[in-house]
Amino acid sequence: MKKTVLIERKTPVVGIPRALLYYRYAALWETYFRELGIKTVLSPPTSRQILEDGAAMAVDETCLSVKIFYGHVKALIGKCDFIFVPRIATFGLRREMCIRFSALYDQTRNVFRETHQRFLSYNLDANENIDQEKAFLNMGETLALGYSPAELKKAYAAAEKADQRAWREKLRAQEQILKSKGLKILLVGHPYILDDPYLGRPITDFLRSMDVLPLRADIVNRDTAIKRSLDVSPSCKWEVNRELLGGVEMLKKEVDGVILVSAFPCGPDAMTNDLVTRKVKDVPLLNLVMDTQTGSAGTETRLESFVDIIRLKKGVL
Amino acid sequence: MAKQLQKEIRMKQISFPRYAEYNCCIKYGLEHAFHNVRYIMPPPLTRQTEELGERNSPDYVCTPFKTLLGSEIEALEAGADTVIMTHGACRLGYYGELQEQILHDLGYQCELINLSSYATGKRRDWLRLLKHVDPKLNLPKFIQVARDTLKMVEYVDDVTAEYYKNVGFDATDGEYRKAYRKFLASLNIADSRADIEADYRTVKREFQEIPLDKPDRPLRVGILGELYTVMDAYSNRNLEQKLADMGVEVHRWMTITNQVVHYSNVKNLEPKIKDLCTYSMGPTSTANIWFAKTCAEHHFDGLIHVKSANCTPEIDIMPVLQNISSTYKIPTLYLTYDTQTSDVGLLTRLEAFYDMIATRKKALS
Ligand code: SF4
Ligand code: SF4
Repeated sequence: MKKTVLIERKTPVVGIPRALLYYRYAALWETYFRELGIKTVLSPPTSRQILEDGAAMAVDETCLSVKIFYGHVKALIGKCDFIFVPRIATFGLRREMCIRFSALYDQTRNVFRETHQRFLSYNLDANENIDQEKAFLNMGETLALGYSPAELKKAYAAAEKADQRAWREKLRAQEQILKSKGLKILLVGHPYILDDPYLGRPITDFLRSMDVLPLRADIVNRDTAIKRSLDVSPSCKWEVNRELLGGVEMLKKEVDGVILVSAFPCGPDAMTNDLVTRKVKDVPLLNLVMDTQTGSAGTETRLESFVDIIRLKKGVL
Repeated sequence: MAKQLQKEIRMKQISFPRYAEYNCCIKYGLEHAFHNVRYIMPPPLTRQTEELGERNSPDYVCTPFKTLLGSEIEALEAGADTVIMTHGACRLGYYGELQEQILHDLGYQCELINLSSYATGKRRDWLRLLKHVDPKLNLPKFIQVARDTLKMVEYVDDVTAEYYKNVGFDATDGEYRKAYRKFLASLNIADSRADIEADYRTVKREFQEIPLDKPDRPLRVGILGELYTVMDAYSNRNLEQKLADMGVEVHRWMTITNQVVHYSNVKNLEPKIKDLCTYSMGPTSTANIWFAKTCAEHHFDGLIHVKSANCTPEIDIMPVLQNISSTYKIPTLYLTYDTQTSDVGLLTRLEAFYDMIATRKKALS
């Protein structure tokens, strides 16, 4: 058997925008690159500045989430060899991402054409027979650093494991809150909105400051959620929205109120949130739409009165 | 007489909302393929249709959802008991389910046949749908009618394309326009494949015979954009007619024939735009980017990109179109339509655009 010779690889630095699906796949992405010996840099947490920078680059009608994403891309320019923008399209029949994620890689390249920045991508499109593992192996090859298929497979396996571990961690934290006593409110929104330090975090923090326990519709057993979503919406095809619809079904009896949080003007949410409003009648509902102008003061007032109404109804105010 | 009446009562009164000039084809297809269907033609779109849709739709859903919903309500008021909503990529695939919920919440006891529920990629599910509509379905006949209907769609697209290329140069007193309107009207009462063929031959002959007063190199504008708004003349406030009336040769590739019936051809366009994008960015994106690039390479005088407000995939290709525009130096006008878009406002913008491309053409030649 030939002994492996240690090859000195000149590995690139990959920049990861701390936005959009980073909040879903952080462990998966970071572990994969680490396993391959590739250094990553993360853009700083969203700030007003990042939002404004991104909005200035974007077509005005783009959703807030993508505007923020551009701000993060901009923050990484000059700080790495590649900026990482996967194209994540489909996972199967009626299991698609919002169409914007199909466009994201090419859209970003075109928006930042003048900067000559290089981008790195993987293409996940199960309906075209490219599942996640294959997507990662393909990406490993495009790096052209001489990784063997076995090395790439091993890195992917480790990444997937880390991803599942991180996911179980989140589920456990949510279980804890479910078991606790107190007023519970279910937050329904894309993870990159709810987890964003500038958009969603202030909402969670504010609720906590009012002694409310915030729960998350997206942190539930995903297979069950996908199945349960059919009860409310048989033809919905957006993966994340199906998880959210299913999550609402699974948790609506456990909570005292539901808050829908979306980014203006989100394509899928505009429709599924309307459906939820029409179908979920037995629990108080608040609809928050965030855009570039949303100020925290206005949001806090609405949250406050929503919580007051719930407490009033329960006779604890 | 009584028998006739009873038969009439047993008929399903099916409608499909207004969509460009295709409703005559839908009528032909439904009434000929099924023995128990009468097609209810929804009234032509008006401001009222849009307001009706707007009032009952979620705020920031894309505009075609609102327009189609308005048209469905008008069809129900006109006597339909069943509405068909198509499946499709993007949000279109979700229109049916939400519209059904809204219609039921409004108190309409109608059935909504949502093609999305049957679009599983399996033939058997489509058959299930056909049997649901007509338990006595004659499948060979259905297939024949489907073919005839597609032919009809192809003719509508072919004639419409020729119309907008030439109508701006009609040397007579509106004969070209009359021939086109007559063609569409006669398709509405076509009863056989022979009728369809005859109507097509007639209009093509008439188009040939009407004298045109067209320069060798007229102003040429390429129109592209979102599937519904770019084709539906009411929704785009007669964009193509307005341009033609200014003396422009109007080209539009995006039609049901090109985009939907021959979708496999669209896939083949991907390699031709590799310099601009690596992946398919959305269902109509490849064709639109390819068409914009092709017009630019053929020295068209301008491009107009048409979309409804909040249309995700069309917003997403705008950065690519902006790059085409700057690489090839082709003026591009971006139009976003919602239910508030006014005729006058559009005309003003088109006139300014026209002046710009006309001046530019003079300066360059
Ligand atoms: S799901 Fe909504 S917020 Fe997310 S990318 Fe699509 S449009 Fe934007
Ligand atoms: S293509 Fe545009 S208008 Fe059509 S469904 Fe998608 S977002 Fe709506």
